[in-house]
Amino acid sequence: MVRRYLRLLGIQLKASGLLAVQYRADFFTEGLTSLFWTFTALAPLFVVYGERPVVEGWSFGEALLVVGWFTLLQGILEGAINPSLTGVVEHIRKGTLDFVLLKPADAQFLVSTQRFLPWRAFNVLTGLGLFVYAFSRLGRWPSVPGLLSSVLLLGTSTLLLYSLWILTVSAAFYVVRVDNLTYLFTSIFDFARWPSSVFKGVAKGALTLVFTYVIPLALMTTFPAEAMLGRLPLHALAGAVVGAVVFAWLARRVWLHSIGHYTSASS
Amino acid sequence: MISVRGLRKHYKVHKRPPGLKAALRSLVHRSYTTVKAVDGISFDIRPGERVGFLGPNGAGKTTTLKVLSGLLHPSDGEVTVDGHVPRLREEAFLKKIMLVMGQKQQLLWDLPPAETFELNRAIYDVPAIQYKQTLDELVALLDIGDLITKPTRQLSLGERMKCELAAALIHRPRVLFLDEPTIGLDVSMQATMRTFIKEYNEKYGATLILTSHYMDDVAALCPRVIVIDKGLLSYDGSLDALVQRVRPEKRVVLRLAEEVDAARLAPLGKVVTHEAGTAVLQVRQEAVNATISRALAGLPVTDLTVENAPLEEVMSELFAENKARREAAAEDASRESVTA
Ligand SMILES: Nc1ncnc2c1ncn2[C@@H]1O[C@H](COP(=O)(O)OP(=O)(O)OP(=O)(O)O)[C@@H](O)[C@H]1O
Ligand SMILES: [Mg+2]
Repeated sequence: MVRRYLRLLGIQLKASGLLAVQYRADFFTEGLTSLFWTFTALAPLFVVYGERPVVEGWSFGEALLVVGWFTLLQGILEGAINPSLTGVVEHIRKGTLDFVLLKPADAQFLVSTQRFLPWRAFNVLTGLGLFVYAFSRLGRWPSVPGLLSSVLLLGTSTLLLYSLWILTVSAAFYVVRVDNLTYLFTSIFDFARWPSSVFKGVAKGALTLVFTYVIPLALMTTFPAEAMLGRLPLHALAGAVVGAVVFAWLARRVWLHSIGHYTSASS
Repeated sequence: MISVRGLRKHYKVHKRPPGLKAALRSLVHRSYTTVKAVDGISFDIRPGERVGFLGPNGAGKTTTLKVLSGLLHPSDGEVTVDGHVPRLREEAFLKKIMLVMGQKQQLLWDLPPAETFELNRAIYDVPAIQYKQTLDELVALLDIGDLITKPTRQLSLGERMKCELAAALIHRPRVLFLDEPTIGLDVSMQATMRTFIKEYNEKYGATLILTSHYMDDVAALCPRVIVIDKGLLSYDGSLDALVQRVRPEKRVVLRLAEEVDAARLAPLGKVVTHEAGTAVLQVRQEAVNATISRALAGLPVTDLTVENAPLEEVMSELFAENKARREAAAEDASRESVTA
């Protein structure tokens, strides 16, 4: 069972790899775009920290870590999650999801692994670069337990991001046009470039609640950054793991329900 | 092999009225209409049979095939395919069947078909030896040796369709649903597909349901046809018997050495066409012999053939008949409701 799915994953990866090689010039354009956007994204950080050394308990170097996590997750999102799941929307629109559902394998697995854009993942490298830069500014290196828990949180953050996308795509079964939804999703994801406590200052009450629990963006980037700094409490780590698993489970239920409702495009 | 009892599939569609105001109102107050795509049909198909689904556009053919392959849940009725209930989409069931749709493709667009084959092989868990054997056979029969390594987007429609069919057969399905597999193909490509499909059916004893608007496909492949019209089954039996029932008349085609006056043809039978030295007469079956002898005796005939009416014509006559019957029934019903 597991072996079969691993083999399937291998074949899907190979297919995406073949395509990536066809478009290998993209490596450079994607790389340049990634660097450009990272620098423009850093600009507000420079502005804010030009005035004061600490914002809501975060020094410049620490805030850089959050940006690093944001950039890294963006790489994962655009390289591994977005391409497949926008493909699902296309499948639904053209009615070719029929072929996915005819296959004797899990439909969610098949659609989630159908396409990877390795060059888009350039942001992952940029994110790693930002970590190095941030820690050199801080003048110290992360502890081993800190690093380990941040790697664990990389897993939970990816799972959260993926589940959020699955929920968005499930909506496509009902409204077909989800361009706006995906746009909304990326715009909201943009907030994750700031440490979550920053919002406590700006938006009180309801918004913080939304960002922390409904769309757990803050957790995706702030928690791993805090873990790297060695100041994430153990119960928060446990909470993130449990939360991500619950969220993934929820997304799975919603997906299965939506598939049940699917009536393929006419003809 | 396949058993369908009282199958119904009703689509609930949201009615979107024209005009902005009405559209806005419909956001709050959504009104639905029910489309009765399939409205109570029953039939049985034995293993290895080749059955043609016929019916005009929108008759419910595709809907039925989708229910049979588990893509749509029936609104009512019972369906089993080789002992499985399709809507449960069990792996064992999905491994036995395949649905090929002429209008949609499963091949990966930017990659060669060989990659899709490889993927399907993994999905269906086909053993390596069987995979190689099946693939070699498909490549030889469909003559797609050079095609499967070219990116799909560079293939012509016909070439792509051959590869589509190959991709669908990698796991050697025992039940094959073909929804307009020859749509858009030229005559010789259609013939290639037909020969191939027939060979597959005979070699593996696969059960086959085919829909097509090309009557040649049906005539060549399907000894048995099921006619569906407006979601109802209107005929189930052999194609010959259907033709006999709808259009028992034969056609006598006469090639004439010289122009003949229309008045001399009229007594022989109903003149269907008469131009450029060829006359086509429609004659009742039992009168065919008499007509032939009279024509040979009285007309300058150089050549003579007896044919059935073209299938297309038979079908459109059948659909027109059905339509007239439905309208009459609807009228009766409305008259009754007025008197009641
Ligand atoms: N997803 C859907 N939602 C709503 N109505 C649908 C849907 N799919 C099909 N229909 C309607 O159901 C009816 C039967 O459609 P179906 O596709 O089964 O016809 P068909 O016999 O395959 O026709 P064709 O020969 O044109 O392919 C049509 O009236 C169609 O408009
Ligand atoms: Mg159809």
